[in-house]
Amino acid sequence: MSATLGDVPPPDASVLTVEHLSVRAPTKTILSDISIEFPDKDVTGIIGPSGCGKTTLIRTLNRMIDTSPGLVVEGRVRYRGQDIYDRAVNPVLVRQRIGMVFQRPTVFPLSVFENVAFGLRLQRAEESTVEEVVRRSLVRAGLWNEIGNDLDQPALELSGGQQQRLCIARALAIEPRVLLFDEPTSSLDPIAAQKVEELFAELARDFAVIIVTHNLTQAARVASRTAFLYQGRLVEFAPTEELFERPRERLTQEYITGRFG
Amino acid sequence: MTGPAGAGGPALAPRNELVDSSGRLRRRLLFDRAIGWALPLAFVAVLFPLFDMLYWISTRALPTFTWATLTENQVGTGGGLYPMILGTLVLIALGTALSTGIGLVAGFYTSEYAPAPVARVARIAGNLLAGVPAIVLGYFGYFLLVLYTHWGFTALAGGITLGIFMTPYVYRTADVALSNVPPSQREAALAMGSRRDQYLVRIAFPIALPTILTGIFFAMALGLGEAAPILFTAGFSSTPITSLMQPTGFLSGAVWLFYDFPSTYGSFLGLAFQAAFLSVVIVLALNVAVQLFSDRYRERLRGLYQ
Ligand SMILES: Nc1ncnc2c1ncn2[C@@H]1O[C@H](COP(=O)(O)OP(=O)(O)OP(=O)(O)O)[C@@H](O)[C@H]1O
Ligand SMILES: [Mg+2]
Repeated sequence: MSATLGDVPPPDASVLTVEHLSVRAPTKTILSDISIEFPDKDVTGIIGPSGCGKTTLIRTLNRMIDTSPGLVVEGRVRYRGQDIYDRAVNPVLVRQRIGMVFQRPTVFPLSVFENVAFGLRLQRAEESTVEEVVRRSLVRAGLWNEIGNDLDQPALELSGGQQQRLCIARALAIEPRVLLFDEPTSSLDPIAAQKVEELFAELARDFAVIIVTHNLTQAARVASRTAFLYQGRLVEFAPTEELFERPRERLTQEYITGRFG
Repeated sequence: MTGPAGAGGPALAPRNELVDSSGRLRRRLLFDRAIGWALPLAFVAVLFPLFDMLYWISTRALPTFTWATLTENQVGTGGGLYPMILGTLVLIALGTALSTGIGLVAGFYTSEYAPAPVARVARIAGNLLAGVPAIVLGYFGYFLLVLYTHWGFTALAGGITLGIFMTPYVYRTADVALSNVPPSQREAALAMGSRRDQYLVRIAFPIALPTILTGIFFAMALGLGEAAPILFTAGFSSTPITSLMQPTGFLSGAVWLFYDFPSTYGSFLGLAFQAAFLSVVIVLALNVAVQLFSDRYRERLRGLYQ
């Protein structure tokens, strides 16, 4: 296959580049003309009021949008230079490189071990590799100390916070180059949320982390750059401090001071 | 302030707050209790005919039931039911294999791959097939598998006809069970870079399995009870089959044929009851086995549907 997602060296520091992206539903435009560059090895936050299109945006970044029938995507999303909407690109390979963690934990009804091993099994990895990678992924997701001694227990019996970190470990096991999070802590209690939040900076040492969040203070805490989305448009994308302290747009100002949303 | 809450002092709750003076609550409790009695009674009323039938069959089958009933051939109006037991197992095995194969593939297709209009048509077709009277399938099998193929009456024709009869039940449960897997599981699997077939095999199928098994069991139980379509295709025989290309006896056929024999009573009627008894026992055993398995299995899925 010629147009697969090979590990060509990145053309610049951005790992994902969105160019004039629009997403249309039959009766409305969900995203209009969004252009944004996501830096590699960094945490990028996406904020905006409910319904502004945050989920839709990150679902276009790994072609999960393909699974929503009736949505039309226009424009380009380049992963290391390659347009992931190119006809020759296989969405399955896109998702192996660009992982996703959802709002609610979505563990499979399998053991802890098999959950983390899932992606490797799809790729028919060697058993010895699998064990090593499962261990390493659980360590990176901060779970090894808690459940490392019983990998055979059913994943569904873990607490919500542990399940969410298990989903992160599962995503890490296939070595993504980008990891997308859609409000990853909004279904967790504050302590569990904090444990997840603490992972982001660590993960961003190895790859790009993109986080959709409702929680402005969370964005302020974890993201180096933050994008503010409003009614399907990108209003402002700037270093987080700048966006929160000296926003250039009045809309941003109004949103972060809590005047709407 | 006369309110009780937060008044600080020893304020007694006003009578009407904790004690029901209108009697409405009491009436509701009475109603609850009445329902508590009525439901088990209704249950018994529904189950009574079933137990009555079991009693009726057992009391006529058991007195003459011996080991020989299971192991010997039918001879004249006596002997055992071995050829029919063997035939039933062969026919059900064939029918189950065929219906599970077709039903699962069709269920995979309509739950995951088919465009919505195609899936809708397939589901309607499945329901129609389930509604076709078994006797019509019997004619169909007779013309196609007995006459047209020049096979004559064979266990194979019987098995295939039974399989067609069972398929819509397997298909419908497979389709529904696979479609009802929480969408978040599909999202998560696809986001991990699964292909759709990998999602189906590794995630959806195991989750749907207990339900699908119940559907297969249900189809088997229905198939066990059918006599007409098999008589039309497998014929009947009192000797054990040695090949799929021979006619074969089977339990429901024995019930129907032996019970209806006009001139004979006694031992022939006994065989009919024994065949009926065995059918019931097989259905019960299947039921219990499937139930035990699904219960154990569902335990693993606890927490998935929250
Ligand atoms: N498949 C679809 N078909 C039609 N409209 C859709 C579809 N998916 C999303 N929308 C609409 O697009 C808009 C943006 O939805 P999206 O889920 O991306 O918002 P969001 O910013 O993630 O909101 P929230 O903060 O509530 O999660 C909403 O108005 C939604 O109704
Ligand atoms: Mg959302």
